[in-house]
Amino acid sequence: MKDRLLLLGYAIAVIAATSVHNPWWLAAGLLLVAVLAGRQAPTIGWRALRAVLFFSLVISIGYAAGALFGQAVSLDYLILVNIRVYLLIFLTFTLAAKIDILRALSFSRNLTYLVTLVLSQIIPFRRLFEDLRLAAESRRLRRLRLRERYLQSAAAAVHLFDRAEHDAREIALAMRSRGFFQPDATDNAPGD
Amino acid sequence: MLQAIEVSYRLPEGQEILRAIDFRLAREEKVVLLGANGTGKSTLLKVLNGLLPPTTGTVCYDGRVIDRAALREAAFHQRFRREVVLLFQNPDTMLFNPTVFDEIAFGPRQLGLDDVDGRVHHWAGELGVAPLLERTPFGLSGGEKQRVCLAALLILEPKVLLLDEPTANMDPRSTGWLVDFLADLKQTTLVTTHNLSLAGEFGDRCLVLGEDHRLLYDGPIQDFLSDHDRLTAANLVHRHRHRHGATEHSHFHIHEWD
Repeated sequence: MKDRLLLLGYAIAVIAATSVHNPWWLAAGLLLVAVLAGRQAPTIGWRALRAVLFFSLVISIGYAAGALFGQAVSLDYLILVNIRVYLLIFLTFTLAAKIDILRALSFSRNLTYLVTLVLSQIIPFRRLFEDLRLAAESRRLRRLRLRERYLQSAAAAVHLFDRAEHDAREIALAMRSRGFFQPDATDNAPGD
Repeated sequence: MLQAIEVSYRLPEGQEILRAIDFRLAREEKVVLLGANGTGKSTLLKVLNGLLPPTTGTVCYDGRVIDRAALREAAFHQRFRREVVLLFQNPDTMLFNPTVFDEIAFGPRQLGLDDVDGRVHHWAGELGVAPLLERTPFGLSGGEKQRVCLAALLILEPKVLLLDEPTANMDPRSTGWLVDFLADLKQTTLVTTHNLSLAGEFGDRCLVLGEDHRLLYDGPIQDFLSDHDRLTAANLVHRHRHRHGATEHSHFHIHEWD
């Protein structure tokens, strides 16, 4: 029950954070989430900051560039967007650590299946990602140029994408083989 | 040459993967690392390659401790990465260049070596991948990828080869070829496998990791392979009921893996 309430609270908080347009209220929300995170607040806060840094920088620099070309700029709006994004990520990371998502969604069998599938994919992907990182490190003899780093990242992304696509197809076939997808009365195409 | 001193490794989640592992590899020695799935063979190779820092204990190469500080020194980092190389179990993780040629040339280009073209052609010929040089690595078969990865490592002329299940993606013909190829190499090699029928071909000495993540055995491989109690303790043989034609036996039978 606790997990379900937390998940409901999370959904309400997300709607609230996207509906409120006063930076002070959002800052207060941020403070509240930090209190909720307790002793983990600095760790989660830092992780959230790293996660949004690129996005926020791009938006802010783009906005500043617009100002240079004479576009009307609202500093309040820029602050509002950045606080909102940071609040949403901080909130998500905080609650992800507190909610047992399987228990929270246990009211729906289909949602539980979906989350189980997602979780079962996250673990092998985390391992694969770690292996890609270590293999790149193992073959690095000097500081790589930007182009070489892009090349490595692109190859890793292609590999991860291929793997995800292959695994998704296999999982879908396995689920079909175990009768998860009930055939439609009109569905008589066995090879699709 | 390469030494693990009381090396333990624990995952951030707390799970212990290696416990007080202690051994030394001599120059040009060929050693096999055996162990059932999940005993920590791959992790041990990554620790020896300086990719994962041991939770406790140390790894030494040529008398120098391999830690973050040592690997931050550009000169030592380059020397260590050139002399101690690791072949990953999944070759896909090691391939990121647009062509096989670029893949093999990746190391020498970083080092600024001369005659990169000649070196690439030499090692591509040695590994039997010369006809694939213009192809993209991702389009190759598992065995071909494994050969490309090996060529990309051997072109650096390393002193220590750490090979993680090198035959895992190979068909029987390629496996036979690899066994012969590795036997002719002069480098120190540490090869992981759980294939007992091949283990004796990779070296004379074996290290065995037990399911408690400790070093269960370090000694001559033939002694280990003929010791059924040790093989069973290491979970490297299994027993099951089986039949001979129409006769059904109710006794247990021991088979090798793979």
